[in-house]
Amino acid sequence: MANGTGNSPTPPATKEVMVLEGLFHRSSGPGDKAYLIGSTCSACGYVAFPKRVVCPACVRENTMKETPLSTRAKVFSFTVARVAPPGFTAPYLQSWVDVEKGPRIFSLIAGVEPTDDALVEGQDVELVIEKIRTDEVGNDIIGYKFRPVSKGGKS
Amino acid sequence: MRDVVVVGVGMHPFGKFLDKSLKELARTAIWNALKDAGMGPKDIQVAYIGNSLAGLITGQEGVRGQTVMRDSGFSGIPVINVENACASATTAFRGAWLEVASGNADVALAVGMEKMFLNDTSKSLQALIADSEVELAKMGIQFTAYYAISPEYNLKKYMKDYNVTQEHFAKVTVKNSQNGSLNPYAQHRKPLTVQDVVNSRMIAYPLTLYMCSSMGDGAAAAIVCTPEVARRFSSKPQVHVAACALRSGMFRRPDDTETPSSVSLVSRQAYEKAGIGPEDVDVAEVHDAMAPAELLIYEELGFCKKGEAKRLIDEGVTSLHGAKPVNPSGGLAAKGHPVGATGLAQISEIVWQLRGEAGPRQVANPKVGLTENVGGVVDGESAAFTTTILKR
Repeated sequence: MANGTGNSPTPPATKEVMVLEGLFHRSSGPGDKAYLIGSTCSACGYVAFPKRVVCPACVRENTMKETPLSTRAKVFSFTVARVAPPGFTAPYLQSWVDVEKGPRIFSLIAGVEPTDDALVEGQDVELVIEKIRTDEVGNDIIGYKFRPVSKGGKS
Repeated sequence: MRDVVVVGVGMHPFGKFLDKSLKELARTAIWNALKDAGMGPKDIQVAYIGNSLAGLITGQEGVRGQTVMRDSGFSGIPVINVENACASATTAFRGAWLEVASGNADVALAVGMEKMFLNDTSKSLQALIADSEVELAKMGIQFTAYYAISPEYNLKKYMKDYNVTQEHFAKVTVKNSQNGSLNPYAQHRKPLTVQDVVNSRMIAYPLTLYMCSSMGDGAAAAIVCTPEVARRFSSKPQVHVAACALRSGMFRRPDDTETPSSVSLVSRQAYEKAGIGPEDVDVAEVHDAMAPAELLIYEELGFCKKGEAKRLIDEGVTSLHGAKPVNPSGGLAAKGHPVGATGLAQISEIVWQLRGEAGPRQVANPKVGLTENVGGVVDGESAAFTTTILKR
């Protein structure tokens, strides 16, 4: 920057940018599992996501301890959005999922064609950390999604 | 608390007005309300100005109310800026009502205004997304789809549990389009058929394009005062504010199916304050941001039991000449939805209906009217909820 050499002939490389800091842990390699970062109340046991300081259930301050959420969830509701906000591509699947021993959260769905019968309510899904959109300058915005658990368990 | 009456209401038509500024929209509504009340700017002692998106759309983030009020000919009086997403205008109305009810002022003005149409639609849509928690918006919510699946509505489950079809939702839009065709302030004046609605473009199942309200430009205003002051300025029938209740969304455990919805809770507060029940409501303006919402609202307001809303629309109970007319103005679907103006357009319509001034869309001799208005999204639920009850 300081020793500017004029116009660079090569376009900047695509960068990966996390959609929000503190929302999830991304796997750094084999043996390091990705997870969503929530918080569990030491007083009442309520699990919140994203993490909170004040427990929304028992409303005490500073009882929330950061915890990894389960990577397993069940589909609560879903539909196909056939229009998309800037950076996203329609059609795409939007969902609310019930995280195992955790809260009900909004999530996009990966790993299936975006059709109205792509999922069923109650279906098992698992966490995946991947690109959710491209920003104005071409960076990949990395976020969380859930995808159907493949038959036979491990994907 | 003192008795408060709505002495004047006024609107700028809702629609697409690329050549008009936010100031011009608001000025028209304010001066129409002044003329309706028989008042001038110097009679107004305090003003609450509702708006949601000007900061992002025109760049006027701060003092938006003061800029508009100065342009309209007001100076010196206190101006309070109110932002509550799509419920901004009824929240502003509540502020004006409280000023007079508390005895702090004798005459107060409430304004709702929104300018959404630019030559850049994506800018307007981006601004709308900011009416939710921005962290969530970044995850990729598309509002129509979000509405269809949110824990608050969960439309596919509602359809399955109560044997409700897309045709029922379409009938709501059809009714509102017929009412809107009679309203000179409405953005969409063409009556639609069930086939038109069902066959319009799919946005996110079960919601098609014509089931969704559209963005718009517009403004609406109301002047409230004591009954004694009103008599000095106006000989029109007096419309009393019987209740004006406001709630925010609330924490709910995912497995909680017992706690009533926030629309139910805010309307119960209003009924209690007004000393009436849902059976006493003669006409209502409700927040049909998406057509299915109107059916759910019938149930939440207690107009029928859970699951029975489809009967009300099937049997025409809520049509203009039914026993319980809902959205005689055309609702958000036909009238348009300039978000920060919508609530005061609802109040204006109820005032006209209670005075018998609604022309071809007048319902038969109403004595009690209700508005229900919601705004924003936080944690899977709307953020702000209001119910206002007006009585002749």
